[in-house]
Amino acid sequence: MKYMISETIVYLIMAVIGVLSTIAVYMAIQERDLVKAVIYSAVQSSFYALLYYFLMAPDIVLVYLPVAVGLIPGVLLILISKTERWEKE
Amino acid sequence: MTLDFINTYLMLILLSSLLVNVVLTIYGIFFKPHYTKKVIALTILSDTLNTFTVYIGYRRWVNELNPRPPILTVPPTTESIIEFAERAVDPLPQALVLTAVVIGLAVTLFLVFLGYILYAHYKTLDMREIRKLKG
Repeated sequence: MKYMISETIVYLIMAVIGVLSTIAVYMAIQERDLVKAVIYSAVQSSFYALLYYFLMAPDIVLVYLPVAVGLIPGVLLILISKTERWEKE
Repeated sequence: MTLDFINTYLMLILLSSLLVNVVLTIYGIFFKPHYTKKVIALTILSDTLNTFTVYIGYRRWVNELNPRPPILTVPPTTESIIEFAERAVDPLPQALVLTAVVIGLAVTLFLVFLGYILYAHYKTLDMREIRKLKG
């Protein structure tokens, strides 16, 4: 019975991470400031890295965390600094 | 019985939230006018599809034992290999996703470079204004 409870707790954590990532995606899509949108996308990537850890894929966490939280937001921030920051109506 | 129902319900919440992510990012790709926002939505979409692929290889708890990462940490005797095959998750989708993450990084870098060239030509990244311009 103890193990059954812990299984439910793990699934509960995964469901909460999924809902939080949906909120982060919504904030990233509707945000007009592109720097904030990139930061929300990085937050969503960290939630996905946690989700990969709970889906028993630690090798993907090792690759995905530096790529999706470090490299892609960095490159997008360089693009925004070279071009324009605000999305017009 | 009731706990099993709750487990299935929680996994359904996870899968439907990922599905909502797919819908939101497709909306962002097609209906948001700014180029950088489209690139952000495309990276989120590829990540969500990768998560679906990893979820295919996941396995529910068998005989009240948790699933393990597909790494054999003890010497390979017959008993340890049987125990490993009963509990470990499928490593093949993880290998495919590992490749897809790196290819997605390359595609994103190419699109960022393309956006920079686009801005150098048109002095804007708003797709509605680029559509009006010529040359």
